[in-house]
Amino acid sequence: MILVIAEQREGKLNRASWEAMAAAQQAGGPVKVALLGSGDEPLAAELAAAEAAEVIVVDAAALGEYTADGQVAALAILIEQEQPGHVFFAHTYQTRDFAPVLATRLGRSLITDVTAIRQESGAMVFVRPVFQGKLNADVTAEGPAPHLVTIQIGAYRGDAAVRGASPAAIRKVEIAVDAAAVRQKPEAPFKEAKQAVDLSQAERIVAIGRGIKGQEHLKLAEDLAKAMGAEIAASRPICDSGWLPMDRQIGSSGQTVAPKLYVALGISGAIQHLVGMKGSKTIVAINKDPEAPIFEIADFGIAGDLFEVVPAMIAELNK
Amino acid sequence: MKIAVCIKQVVTREWQLRVNEPKTWIRDQDASFELNEPDAYALEEALRQKEKHGGEVVVVSAGPARATQVLREALARGADRAIHVESDTLAAADALVIADALACAIREEKFDLVLTGLQSDDQGFGQVGVVLAEKLGMPSASIIMEVQASESGLRVKRELEAGWFQWISLPLPALLTIQSGINQLRYATLKGIMAAKKKEIRKVTASGSAAPAQKILRVYFPEKGKKTQMIPGSATEAAKALVQKLRDEARVIA
Amino acid sequence: MDRETLEVDVLIVGGGPAGMSAALRLAQLQKAQGGEPLAIAVLEKAREAGAHMLSGAMLDPSALRELIPDFKEKGAPVASEVHHEHVYFLTKNSKVPFPITPPPLQNHGNYVISLNRFVKWMSGLVEAEGIDLFAGFPASEVLYDGDRVVGVRTRDQGIDKHGAKKSTFEAGVEIRAKVTILCDGVRGNLTKAVVRRLALDEGRQPQLYAIGLKELWEVPKDRIKAGTVVHTLGYPLKREEFGGGFLYAMPDGVVSVGFVTGLDYRDPMFDPHLTFQHFKQHPAIAAILQGGQMVRYGAKALPEGGWHTIPRVYADGLLIAGDAGGFVNSMRLKGIHLAMRTGMLAAETAYEAIRARDTSAARLWKYEERIDASEVRRELYPVRNVHQSFGYGLVPGLMYSGLSLVTGGWWLKDPMPAHAGFDRMAEIAEYYGEHKLDVDAPVRPVKVDRQLTFDKLTNVHHSGTRHTEDQPSHLIVYDTNICSTRCRVEYGNPCTRFCPANVYEMVDAGDGTKRLQINASNCVHCKTCDIMDPYQVIDWVPPEGGGGPQYDGM
Repeated sequence: MILVIAEQREGKLNRASWEAMAAAQQAGGPVKVALLGSGDEPLAAELAAAEAAEVIVVDAAALGEYTADGQVAALAILIEQEQPGHVFFAHTYQTRDFAPVLATRLGRSLITDVTAIRQESGAMVFVRPVFQGKLNADVTAEGPAPHLVTIQIGAYRGDAAVRGASPAAIRKVEIAVDAAAVRQKPEAPFKEAKQAVDLSQAERIVAIGRGIKGQEHLKLAEDLAKAMGAEIAASRPICDSGWLPMDRQIGSSGQTVAPKLYVALGISGAIQHLVGMKGSKTIVAINKDPEAPIFEIADFGIAGDLFEVVPAMIAELNK
Repeated sequence: MKIAVCIKQVVTREWQLRVNEPKTWIRDQDASFELNEPDAYALEEALRQKEKHGGEVVVVSAGPARATQVLREALARGADRAIHVESDTLAAADALVIADALACAIREEKFDLVLTGLQSDDQGFGQVGVVLAEKLGMPSASIIMEVQASESGLRVKRELEAGWFQWISLPLPALLTIQSGINQLRYATLKGIMAAKKKEIRKVTASGSAAPAQKILRVYFPEKGKKTQMIPGSATEAAKALVQKLRDEARVIA
Repeated sequence: MDRETLEVDVLIVGGGPAGMSAALRLAQLQKAQGGEPLAIAVLEKAREAGAHMLSGAMLDPSALRELIPDFKEKGAPVASEVHHEHVYFLTKNSKVPFPITPPPLQNHGNYVISLNRFVKWMSGLVEAEGIDLFAGFPASEVLYDGDRVVGVRTRDQGIDKHGAKKSTFEAGVEIRAKVTILCDGVRGNLTKAVVRRLALDEGRQPQLYAIGLKELWEVPKDRIKAGTVVHTLGYPLKREEFGGGFLYAMPDGVVSVGFVTGLDYRDPMFDPHLTFQHFKQHPAIAAILQGGQMVRYGAKALPEGGWHTIPRVYADGLLIAGDAGGFVNSMRLKGIHLAMRTGMLAAETAYEAIRARDTSAARLWKYEERIDASEVRRELYPVRNVHQSFGYGLVPGLMYSGLSLVTGGWWLKDPMPAHAGFDRMAEIAEYYGEHKLDVDAPVRPVKVDRQLTFDKLTNVHHSGTRHTEDQPSHLIVYDTNICSTRCRVEYGNPCTRFCPANVYEMVDAGDGTKRLQINASNCVHCKTCDIMDPYQVIDWVPPEGGGGPQYDGM
């Protein structure tokens, strides 16, 4: 059995939980989902839509606000009770904060940032990036079960998680968490406009290169970005010319991104640019030159004039 | 405040990776190495805390003999002394084994604060710091963007996702994993390099007993798994077809 | 501004083979003769010793044997001794072997090495002697007391691209020394300045340079035997151009392949990088590289003018050694051993002068005397006119080179007249006639397949070069107006071609004209622009410490 630990904050389910669910379902075997918190019945009902053996709700006042100690204390007991073969998490910032403590306390293996899972002679083999994604490693967990696994965000599709014919059973589990033993005292989360644009968090990016020709054509790309709900970015020459600020630059001397969608407009695909974006899930390239290296890594390509193609795309998107 | 900073030596980002013969790790004989970037920020934060509160900064690294390079660099930047857990097998060891080796080397020293980088450029576990905290019996907080230390403990700013942050308080002793960009790195100075020569690098043998928690079967270059679909037709036709594919096939736009 | 100062006895600027040899020799003299220990410091701009080292590289071990007799026991990385040698004259599709290997190209007893590894190894020995080796610290200025050189100033760190100090600003340090040994390499920025200020090149011929481009490849292990060396002349160069290709095989299928061209070509459209690609496409070379993988790329200028172009290499408080002084044998295509040798002789001179408490030019003149009495002169004097003779074309050059072996280099006009390389470049109209030439398109294009042939940007990526982005450009062009006006018409912006790292680009200015764009962070520190720009308006100054290529294994 694989136990998937869902993640919530302030009454909202983290979408990546569905991705971990999809990974667990595809890995094979029965799946259970656990949700930790305080008064999260609506979220449990949401999770029950998944094809799962059951949804376990661990409800405790001390879990109302996330703390590493609270999470570890509750999950250590839950895992002891449920005896899963594997425990899956989404590789979120929150998971990174407590999962290593949990694994250490349980004396179990933790494999992080997994992008794919294979079965090899009866064992699960996990694929994870090493050397900043330049290499992949196939790894297996050592030592007794359960093995803890975190799934890279975006590696699986949340909407690929199978929904059940009828809602899964919801079971409440009482676990006493001693609030006094929690050493971290959190304050309310707050949002802060980062000084620099953090393109690494963008879901969609429209990036422009030399093919955009002049600053006056920037608006065309911005309109496409708007129609797609995308951030605007650029290759180095555009930022060097001062048409866009440096914090919009993608590549070896700028940011490294891996959005769901990356649209490259008039970008030839110099290796310095490719290293900054080739991890994107879906890559679209529009370029006049059919020989441009960008097409080698694109999922969809149009060898054509961006000044004709892009307006037509905007029209189609706004229909 | 007595601060330990755990640092790792990794191959430089510019080095062209090559895989070794059993294909289980890289062939790094002719590589050049550098201080793992997130660890450089952890070191800088430790030095700034020392400047504010006094105390001592000790850098610790677990790795082969060549790791003295990064310890020396840290001493040149202002760390007071260094501990080197020397072992060839630690270069490619897993997070549990590395954290265990570090814990054994520093447990007796009773540090008030232990800092590590968020993760390493090579294995990228993002685990060593947090595991080390548990091994040392300390509370931890990760992905830290600001540190306020006082007699009573720490107040630190954790980065959450999507532009969210949160302050949390912790009692000392504690361990923090530091996010890159928390501060501005200082430059090495000639005086610092000369002073570093006189500072102690204590070598200890790895005395950890943790069994490996994972095994690398093979490493390989990611295959270009995708095939490019070139969309033909006039600009209008192609644009229309592309939008449709992005909606229905790739499902990346609404 | 208040600057820290550091006082030493001997300051060595540049941690290449010359600087490292000087440091080791000083340590040896110190050990042998005792007395009050000298304070010695070595400054190196690369973030790690050896990172900016690029050469073919073939090592004549004569100086090494003298400096470190037990170099093998000490683990010198000199694994492949030369076994097989070939010299070919290439035509477009075939190769004609030279009937005999010309004596200067005979390499038995020499080693194919990685200069990067070799210098890294030397740096270990230097540090083991307790010498301060400061890597990541470029020197930006020579310090004078009147006309006496009293040290250098290291570069200020932490200045943003607009010239303002960042919060991390760290002022450069004044390092004061009794003797400063400049080993700042080919077209070193300090040597250039000091030669100009003290007129050390008075009565000398202008230096002639070449540019070498090199790739490191990994090919199937049984493809070529380690210790095989190949030199070529001819294709793809025109007869008027000086240069040739090389291919050296090391163990485990590692191959060093490169091309050297004299920076005194006439054709303003000449492109050394494209020429290198054509060379690799030649069947004789492609056959060896096919199916292999390019793992590293680099480029560097080399001084080839020889004996008559070497400036006065001493002044009050100053000695100059290695490539900075032009100590390269262009006939044998070797300079590492001469760099080491001159470094050693400079060290001996400096040591003696300091012990005698006289580091004036009158005393340091002994350095020149030592050079004259050494292998350096015995080797360089007879070939003093070789590169110059190629100024008259390949055939006269070859004839003279052959003749010089017999005559000891004597010629009717000695020294043979020579011009600075940039001076020889012809204008577009002069070279190509009046018909309209598109200067933005190559005259001899190459199909880039990214297997055997590469574009400059891809190659630059493989140089590992890295610079802090937020700093002033370290390539100073004093007049960028000239680029879009005169140069565009007269020479067609040759910087966009002779720069092997895509630093210089002419981009649309938006008003129908072009403007110069400097991609300083691509720079691999080869110095070609400083040398070859026809208007001499480009000045290469060191970027922030540690910036530059990372030539692992090169």
